Amino acid sequence: MPDPLLSVEDLTVEYGGAVRALRGVSLSVEAGSVVAVLGSNGAGKTTLLRAVSQSLGSVGGRVTAGRVRFDGRDLARHDASAAVRAGLVQVPEGRRIFRDLTVEENLRAGGYTVRDARARRAATERVFRLFPILAERRHQRGGLLSGGQQQMLAMGRALMTSPKLLLLDEPSLGLAPQLVEQIGDIIEQIHAQGTSVLLIEQNAAMGLRVADRAYVLEVGVVSTRGSSAELAATDEIRDRYLGVAAPDTDHVVQDAPPAAAAHLQRSTPARAQELRVEDLTVRFGGITALSGVSFTVGAGTVHALIGPNGAGKSTCINVLGGAYRATSGTVHYGDAAVTSLPAHRIADLGVARTFQNISLSLEASVEDNLLVGRHRVMRTRTSAQALRLPRARREERAERAAVRRIADLLGIAPLLDRAVHTLSYGDRKRVEMGRALASEPTLLLLDEPVAGMTHGESAVMADAIRAVQRELGLSVLLVEHDMPFVMGLAERVTVLDFGKRIAEGTPREVQRDPEVLRAYLGTAAA
Amino acid sequence: MSYFLTQLANGLSYGLILGLIAVGFVIVFTSTGVLNFAHGSVLLTGAYLVAVLHDPIGFWAAVVVGIAGAALLGVLINAVLVRNLAEANPGTAAILMLGVDILLLTELTRRIGNRVLPIGAPWGADVVTLGGVTLPTSRAVAAGLAVLVFGLLWFLFARTGFGVAMRAAAADGDTASLMGIRLSRTGAAGWALAGALAAIAGIFLASFPAPGVAPALAISAFAAIPAWVLGGFDSVVGAIVGGLIIGVVTALAVGYETQLHFLGRGLGEVVPYAVMILVLLVRPSGLFGREEAVRA
Repeated sequence: MPDPLLSVEDLTVEYGGAVRALRGVSLSVEAGSVVAVLGSNGAGKTTLLRAVSQSLGSVGGRVTAGRVRFDGRDLARHDASAAVRAGLVQVPEGRRIFRDLTVEENLRAGGYTVRDARARRAATERVFRLFPILAERRHQRGGLLSGGQQQMLAMGRALMTSPKLLLLDEPSLGLAPQLVEQIGDIIEQIHAQGTSVLLIEQNAAMGLRVADRAYVLEVGVVSTRGSSAELAATDEIRDRYLGVAAPDTDHVVQDAPPAAAAHLQRSTPARAQELRVEDLTVRFGGITALSGVSFTVGAGTVHALIGPNGAGKSTCINVLGGAYRATSGTVHYGDAAVTSLPAHRIADLGVARTFQNISLSLEASVEDNLLVGRHRVMRTRTSAQALRLPRARREERAERAAVRRIADLLGIAPLLDRAVHTLSYGDRKRVEMGRALASEPTLLLLDEPVAGMTHGESAVMADAIRAVQRELGLSVLLVEHDMPFVMGLAERVTVLDFGKRIAEGTPREVQRDPEVLRAYLGTAAA
Repeated sequence: MSYFLTQLANGLSYGLILGLIAVGFVIVFTSTGVLNFAHGSVLLTGAYLVAVLHDPIGFWAAVVVGIAGAALLGVLINAVLVRNLAEANPGTAAILMLGVDILLLTELTRRIGNRVLPIGAPWGADVVTLGGVTLPTSRAVAAGLAVLVFGLLWFLFARTGFGVAMRAAAADGDTASLMGIRLSRTGAAGWALAGALAAIAGIFLASFPAPGVAPALAISAFAAIPAWVLGGFDSVVGAIVGGLIIGVVTALAVGYETQLHFLGRGLGEVVPYAVMILVLLVRPSGLFGREEAVRA
């Protein structure tokens, strides 16, 4: 048997000499194959890719044992640039395109190591054939592309060197179902053109569809390996990563564990109120992001906002949270007109939010980030805290206990002492959610709360949201692409496309709406 | 009217020279994240080399040596000091650069003493007059050359693979290195460019109407800092426009000092900073700076 194209042997990686992200991981990618790596957040998937592409240094990681052999060569002691020249290119998590460079310039940067101008032109042509939309937008700045187009640009940029092995880190992150399917097709095409692929994917259904073999990584060790078909058939994988439970609303809701016992209590008698969005229009320069959108979130209900990338969902959340100004239209929360208030006054109404691109203090610990969220409900004055009066100390103890309960509920209690920058994307999402909850909101705005999570993790998140909704009686408005999650949790769903409302109803109604199938869900959901 | 036009032409040419210096600040900052407070002494080094070498080897050869020497000095500072910083903290690097500046300046002051070294340029103290506007020949040459240099920079950054790689590395170094771009190379190139631009600016700042190369020349680089900041810190175009604004405003403030007498004397030294503060009040990220607030 010929040597595999990539072989990782007994790899151990540490961060800052303390956190062990990988422990004795072995894995191989045969030439001409697609290999998927599945695993929960914090399992070490991104670390594995960075170790392979020799780019651990910039994030403070170090290989302490084991080897990475690529194409018959030991890559240790080489830098990322040497790995690229050897034919191994990584597409980073979150796309990371150069926003101020044009599409063409992004590709040019990707093909930097290709010295031969003719080869570079041929590679550009191939990328444009694979992604015709990029050819159309070649002179546009990367930052103006939609999420799906940015993912295509990130992949195209990596293909400019005509690599032997392409490393993909969560290519479907934050993409609408229809686009996820398209990205899967593209990976198959890239493979068919002779490039091997090592793929990290939270969307296990897509990952297992395109891969020949798969590995499951759990807390830094390989727990399962096998052909995709074998793995897809095992119960454990089906439960934790695939979520075979059909998105049948009633069934899922009844199955939810009764009162996940969060024991959260409000320190104020605030109550959730009705949120009314009426005829909301938002324009940026010449672009209309939202036009005449109306919907109502009933007090104490869970409402979902879905739609393709660039449909205006995040814009809507940003107006509700006060980050953007409405061009016209109104938003009322109870009696208060949200559209005329600055962000901090909106927070005082009991509205808390999370961000799509996560906005946390990276150097601070998880606990401190959550405590920041308590700011709104803390009582003692700064002077009392500075003097450490008994009252202030009592309050601090109580606050820490409250924060711990929230962390327990979200499954991040073991991470409380860790600095946020050491956490994986999905764990940061949970910390952000925790910070929003810590402020005891009556209305919670969640922007892609389960992006980058496995099916099992998003089920935990759904339980947590149900528990806080029940115990604190709060309303939730969420934007999310994970359909099983949305369909199992939301009572009503509003669908946006190109800034307009195209459907609204119960999850069941929306799922059958032909317009929604066409614009958003695609054939996979039919 | 011709007095006004003369002041304006003076200001524009001075502004283009400031632009050369400010662009150096920008390139070092975007390619290595360093606030290069040693830029002034690098500029002085370039001009000093030309001043001491023009006699033995001729002016144009001395210019080549001066530019290459300043570029090399920049590359050395980056390779020996900046890249070996244990922690890549912008504050630490900035303080380090202040230290480098003091060291270089001390050595150059020791060599120059209280002399003023003539730069030995062929245009000497000539002036050109065109339609009632009188300009020192050195300034006219400086303006033409600066425009040419900016054109070359545009070509480098927009049309060549290495220039695009430099911009990619400036935008997101971590991702750029995943594309095979070596940050050590783009960083070195940034420092070399900045050094070369500083040397060119230094030669003209030491030419007529200035008497020649003296240690105070290093301070003149600081006049480009307001241009750099109001242009937006990380924008090459911003630095050029900033330089022009500061140049013109300074020239007019000096030229009309008698009319502006109620503001006190030495207005020309204060005015760049006043303009900078005014601009930052209206646009906190500068004229062309990347806005801090991204899509939430």
